[in-house]
Amino acid sequence: MNDPIRRLAYGILTIFAVLAVVATYTQAVAGPEYRDDPRNVRLAAFRTGRERGAIVTADGTVVAVSQPDPDDPRVFRRSYPQRDLYAHVVGYTSVLFSSTGLERERARDLVSNRGSTISGVLDVVFGGDIGPRGLRLTIEHELQAAAAEALGDQRGAIVALDPATGAVLAMVSSPGFDPNTVIGRGAGSAGVALEQDPNRPLVDRTIEEVYPPGSTFKVITTAAALESGVAGPSALFPDRLEQALPGSSATIRNFDRGRCGEGTEVTLADAFVRSCNTVFAALGMEVGAERLVATAEAFGFNEEIPFDLPVAVSRIPEAASFADDPAATAQNAIGQRDVVATPMQMALVAAAVANEGTVMVPYVVDTVFTSDGRVEAQTEPVPWRRAVSPATAAVLAELMERTVISGTARRAAVPGVRIAGKTGTAEVTDAAPHAWFVGFGPLDPEPGRRQIAVAVVVESGGVAGESATGGSVAAPIAAELFREFLGLPG
Amino acid sequence: MTRNVEAALIVAASVIAALGVAIVEFAGGAWLDAQVTLTFITFLAAFGGLHMAIRTWAQSADPLLLPVTAFLTGVGFIEVYRIDPRLANVQRWSLLVAAGVGAWLLYALRAEGVAVLRRYRYLFLAASVVLLLLPLLPSSWPLHGATVNGSRLWVRLNLPGLDRALSFQPGEVAKVLLTIFLASYLADRAPAMSVVDRSIGRLRLPEPRYLAPVAIAAGAAFLVLIYQRDLGASLLIFALFVVMLYAATGRAVYLGVGAVLVVVGGVVGYLSFGHVQRRVAGWLHPFADYTDTGYQVAQGLFALGSGSLTGSGLGLGRPDAIPAATTDYIFAAIGEELGLAGTIAVIAAFVLLVTIGFGIALRSRDRFRKFLATGLTALLGIQTALILAGVLRILPVTGITLPFLSYGGSSLLASMTAIVLLARISHEERT
Repeated sequence: MNDPIRRLAYGILTIFAVLAVVATYTQAVAGPEYRDDPRNVRLAAFRTGRERGAIVTADGTVVAVSQPDPDDPRVFRRSYPQRDLYAHVVGYTSVLFSSTGLERERARDLVSNRGSTISGVLDVVFGGDIGPRGLRLTIEHELQAAAAEALGDQRGAIVALDPATGAVLAMVSSPGFDPNTVIGRGAGSAGVALEQDPNRPLVDRTIEEVYPPGSTFKVITTAAALESGVAGPSALFPDRLEQALPGSSATIRNFDRGRCGEGTEVTLADAFVRSCNTVFAALGMEVGAERLVATAEAFGFNEEIPFDLPVAVSRIPEAASFADDPAATAQNAIGQRDVVATPMQMALVAAAVANEGTVMVPYVVDTVFTSDGRVEAQTEPVPWRRAVSPATAAVLAELMERTVISGTARRAAVPGVRIAGKTGTAEVTDAAPHAWFVGFGPLDPEPGRRQIAVAVVVESGGVAGESATGGSVAAPIAAELFREFLGLPG
Repeated sequence: MTRNVEAALIVAASVIAALGVAIVEFAGGAWLDAQVTLTFITFLAAFGGLHMAIRTWAQSADPLLLPVTAFLTGVGFIEVYRIDPRLANVQRWSLLVAAGVGAWLLYALRAEGVAVLRRYRYLFLAASVVLLLLPLLPSSWPLHGATVNGSRLWVRLNLPGLDRALSFQPGEVAKVLLTIFLASYLADRAPAMSVVDRSIGRLRLPEPRYLAPVAIAAGAAFLVLIYQRDLGASLLIFALFVVMLYAATGRAVYLGVGAVLVVVGGVVGYLSFGHVQRRVAGWLHPFADYTDTGYQVAQGLFALGSGSLTGSGLGLGRPDAIPAATTDYIFAAIGEELGLAGTIAVIAAFVLLVTIGFGIALRSRDRFRKFLATGLTALLGIQTALILAGVLRILPVTGITLPFLSYGGSSLLASMTAIVLLARISHEERT
């Protein structure tokens, strides 16, 4: 009669053994991951009062720093001296509103090493460096300031990259906010006001928001055509007033409702330079959903971009979902309908064309340095994916340069510098169109000099409103960035 | 001799409880104060009193039962005090009441032993059914049910001249009464029930009428689930029935049928009740719906993970961020402030308790005492395992208390009764 009781005892004790194992796993093995989860309030509560390392730009401008409280020297106060300018990239550490930006994602790198490693313990014993570590960004302060000034009060975003390395040179989302208001006295009401602001200043439009890319997407459509051999730059297309869409009563017209060229036939190159929707709708249907999606994905669509901060996924629907729908294919091919992209993604498209078809992994944290200035970790440029062949990239670059010389992107031109670009005017329902520009320059940098790839989007046309186009609103902003980058007078 | 060891260990446990409170006070910036002394005195009075009762009326009882219980109660008390000192002040009184009831029980059983309980089994059955149904009393009555966190398992008594209602969870006590009933019932019927004389295919079944108790258990558990929306109590009661049937008959078919019914009941419950779906969603994907269904589970994991090996130290963590930190989630709070060291210590103490309990059952010569000891031990063990598995995300959170550690007078009273009965049974085997 004791046997079942004995078995029962063994059963329950076995369950307790399992509980002990799982407790050990949860606390000792998986523990650090839970501990460092940004949503864990313990993290922010633990960190707000302590000294954390500084965050500086590539040129040494301090954008986040901890200073002792004058009233209580044991408590450190975080401040963000550049206020709005780096609000989204750097973010803030707040107990009330959870943390954002690099303050959140790299929180672990902003504390001291002390105690967490054997060498850290040895450092403490032998009086070594035990101050908190800091971050040096790849962002250049002057360029960042110029970008913010060029956007002004308009809602929108700018991303500027070094195409050869993926280093972010400027990253601005407008409207901004002052992170100092969200962490200090009165943070509660200030934070709630920001959360409720209809202009959504807390959203980082460079990476958290997706927009229809409009005609800037034609770079990808053209890439798909070139890579697959469907059409070359000199391929001829009929110059129609409107392009019929099979299986649909709708048609696609050009932006100005006119023809693309003289009226009979037009080359793909000319259609690119003038951004003719009729030709690209026809081209898109020829290229087909499959190749269009494959090329977009080669540039990084439908995948999370590996970056120091979480980036929203830029999307194009699965090929199978619109392969049998030429109308959808045509509309997707001109960057409308179901295609959406982050400004970061479109900057990578421009950067890939500049970098012979290779997309580099973008990064904004250059180094982690110790409090005595030693470099502890340095980000190395890594290729992310091969978007197109170098030959295709060269043709695209040439088309984009012609677009700046004589096409829709003329206002991105900088005298004496070879600039490449493509504009976009993305139609949205119930609002003025978003004005886009993507491009890069100089095409022929002097040996040892860098290039810059930029994406500019101005939401709902900005101050120009309904009359805005990518060429009239976004391209001039890019021109200012190019001039600032090259050190030319404005 | 062993009684002196027990006394010494009880003093040690009381010192641990008092020192824990002292550490919490230091961490909060206070100095040694009345709370520390009060805690020491309360523990000494409660467990010392029980110890004296055992010396008087059950002098051969197992000497480790009380010290382990005192240790667990102490650890829980420290954490409750750290999270909410006002609750701890209530808990101190609950402890004294529970110890008083325990001592009285030892006194009442002094002459005839637990065998006297066997006689009143249908009274206990009736009482436990009434207790289980009490929370359904309409809210307008002086003695009425109350819904807390979506489950209706509370009874409140509004007394004239008292601005605070007295509240208790009758289900906690009902579980112990049911265990007594089952042990008594099975002691009479088990031989007949273990005869296997029917078979359906390869499945060999006992006489159908002997399967009736399982069906009744399933039915009762399911009623509790439906009317009181209490997943944990329902599962616990059902598991208790099944496990005791197995212990009494040795027929694994009861375990099998029970497991099937748990799965069926679980699926039906999941499909019918929103709160069950929420629990399951929070269990499977605590971070997917972090702000809603997954919040408690995620906070528990944050707490456990932040505690790591040695914990933040008492009073230095943020266990207040965990919902229900003093009751269902006390284990996560302990894990945060005392680390893996604390959680393993708690699990080890429960292992010791369960081992002692089953040891008493195995040594019992009389069938009723054997089943009673098995049932009480299984009750404590399963209840502990269920809630720990919930906090550790092995199972969905079922919303039951951790015996001895969670805040709550009813739970403490029920668990203490179980320990006292175990002590009495162990005494009877050695005389």
